[in-house]
Amino acid sequence: MAGMQQPPPTPTGQPLGGPVPGAPVPGAPPKATPLGTSHASIVRSQFRKHRLAMFSLFLLALLYAGALFADFIAPYGEGQSFRRGEMNRSYAPPTTIYWTDPETGRLTRPFVYPVVPSRDVQTLRVTYVEDRASPTPIRFFVQGPAYVPPPLSLVPVGIRNQLGWNWRVSTHLFGVEAPATIYLWGADQFGRDVFGRILFGARISLTIGIMASLIALVLGLLLGGIAGYLGGVLDDVLMRLVEVFATIPSLFLLLALRALFPIEINPTAIFVVLVTILGFISWGPIARVVRGLALSLREEEYVQAARALGARQARVLLRHVLPGTAAYAIVAFSLLIPSFILTEAGLSFLGLGISEPASSWGLMLAVAQEGGIQTFTQRPWMLLPGLFIFIAVLAFNFLGDGLRDALDPKLRT
Amino acid sequence: MVLSYVIRRLVQMIPTFLGATLLAFLIIQAAPGDFTDRFALDPNIDPEQLQRMRERFALDQPVLVQYANWMWSIVRYGYLGESFSYRAPVNAVIYPLVLNSMSLVLVSLVLTYVLTIPIAVYSAVRQYSLGDKVVTFLSFLGLAIPNFFFILILITGVLFLQPTLRQVAAEGGTVEQVLRPITYDLDRGLVFPVGGMRTSQRVEQMSGWERFVDRVWHLVLPVVVVTTASLASLVRVLRGQMLEFLRADFVRTAAAKGVPPRGVVYKHALRNALNPLISGIGTLLPSLVGGAGLVEFVIRWPGITPAFVAAVKAQDLYIVMGLLTVSAVLLMIGNFLSDVLLGLVDPRIRYS
Repeated sequence: MAGMQQPPPTPTGQPLGGPVPGAPVPGAPPKATPLGTSHASIVRSQFRKHRLAMFSLFLLALLYAGALFADFIAPYGEGQSFRRGEMNRSYAPPTTIYWTDPETGRLTRPFVYPVVPSRDVQTLRVTYVEDRASPTPIRFFVQGPAYVPPPLSLVPVGIRNQLGWNWRVSTHLFGVEAPATIYLWGADQFGRDVFGRILFGARISLTIGIMASLIALVLGLLLGGIAGYLGGVLDDVLMRLVEVFATIPSLFLLLALRALFPIEINPTAIFVVLVTILGFISWGPIARVVRGLALSLREEEYVQAARALGARQARVLLRHVLPGTAAYAIVAFSLLIPSFILTEAGLSFLGLGISEPASSWGLMLAVAQEGGIQTFTQRPWMLLPGLFIFIAVLAFNFLGDGLRDALDPKLRT
Repeated sequence: MVLSYVIRRLVQMIPTFLGATLLAFLIIQAAPGDFTDRFALDPNIDPEQLQRMRERFALDQPVLVQYANWMWSIVRYGYLGESFSYRAPVNAVIYPLVLNSMSLVLVSLVLTYVLTIPIAVYSAVRQYSLGDKVVTFLSFLGLAIPNFFFILILITGVLFLQPTLRQVAAEGGTVEQVLRPITYDLDRGLVFPVGGMRTSQRVEQMSGWERFVDRVWHLVLPVVVVTTASLASLVRVLRGQMLEFLRADFVRTAAAKGVPPRGVVYKHALRNALNPLISGIGTLLPSLVGGAGLVEFVIRWPGITPAFVAAVKAQDLYIVMGLLTVSAVLLMIGNFLSDVLLGLVDPRIRYS
């Protein structure tokens, strides 16, 4: 809006969409508080009052725990499929778990019946009939496919292989003996466990957002801070660049950038590519807001004092100006994550994101759709990954809202 | 003064436009290989032919020269280049695509604005009422649900009703008579069409009016999905704005001096609260195009995004550039309009 003279921006004149920025109010307590309360403890107690945000935090912790311990919780491996002969479990419905003894009707240890695939001659659809003769008890802490246990599994595979750190365990939380199979939430067309794959998919879907937001945030803070604090030609150049980026619709920019890399590369590489692209195309709006904040912060007395004391520009920027944008940065960060989760899901849904046999929630929906929209009514469990995207995004949004209310009481809506 | 502002604003757009198209051009050309790669393995085409093809499409020239030629032909003739894979002018190829997407997006845009204002005003005026809570809850849901997942659910819902409706159609009776006019195709058990843009089998025999009605039926599901997302975020923004202005001093003054409640809400509070909605017009349009993109995929709507993805995959350079140019221009027009409109509704903004 260059060329327009507007009254000084109030918190009302903000751009639509995206995180709502706002001037931080350093040192202004949200309410009359007893003496001796630190800013941090005010923020904490304010945040705790936001019940939805607290619940979301709990929910997200649960999802991340599920992602971290996916190998252990899921009864089958990520790519383990059942598709041949008697063990064909293509689109097998959720396994019924029985809690009572069929003869006595008394409570017993939970068990399942193995299912036998049988093809309907007329419709050619495979249906699964329970074999009542051999009840199979659900066992806990059973042996299954081997995997690298959690703290170690966080180390990237390449580094692990180089160091030879590949200790494996094969204990799973629960499982049943073959030929019985246990699918809590049904199976996909290759007979893979949807429950397990949702947990495995959470690893990618839930980390991609955080990583990409971090990149966008760091870039936005640095470039916006530089533009606002130093001003001059650099400011003009950076802001023109932001404008140029904003002129290309982000979905198209994303797709064009994605085309720079081959479609079929290994999941780790795709992950890195996606995180980088997402981070690099999204710093603009953050930089713009941070620039505005930096413009006003550089006139603050403490910043002037730091300069008068002879601090280098970089130090003033990093130690004095940027910390003043912390409230905005935290809120923007938590609100960027869900938008990236949605973008990743969309890209994977288009077949341009994570590819098989790895799983992500968007990819699972794409696979579900390949089976034909017409058949969703027969296997609604294939839509479950969408529900998880929905829950994760909702939780992050509530979390961001709670953080904003706690950190930036002026913006409470 | 307004005129000189408009002219200056238009002039300012030129470098942005050049920068954006150049950036896009460089990105696309940075991808390994070019369009002719797909023929490189074809035994029927010898290297000489490949070379001739490259020359014909000017792919052998430096990227900046290609860009300059392309830009010049746009400025001079409004010609967006030739599509490699269609062997046709890009203008002719993308014109129907843009039109198709726009029919979806513009309807959603209008619906979004028409619905946002009453919903947000109601929600703000009755803050913390049951209705407000429902609106807030729904807008959170609308923000969180992925477009492509939402449309999948709607389609599943329609298909879920299919067997029942088929039965109704077969049985006849009053139920059938009531349902027939309010469903899309009762004999096939469809409340709404679940894919495509028109009923392909019969389109040739339809009159203009019937074609219009047919298009409207096909628009229902995608428009619902595309509108929901933008509606959800706009309602939240406008509600927040309204709440702030309803508490403002000048609104209290207006109420105190006897302005009727309606006037207070609409003339004093809403008038001020609308600003971010207007300044958002520019960014709303491309975000709607993007949001509609995945929906277009799911329901096989022949719009911009599916064509864009196909063109990117085929490295059909000028189709990609053409679509990017059109959307960049739309975005700039949107931003320009919102600036001018903002000046019209907000007397505090002066042009200088």
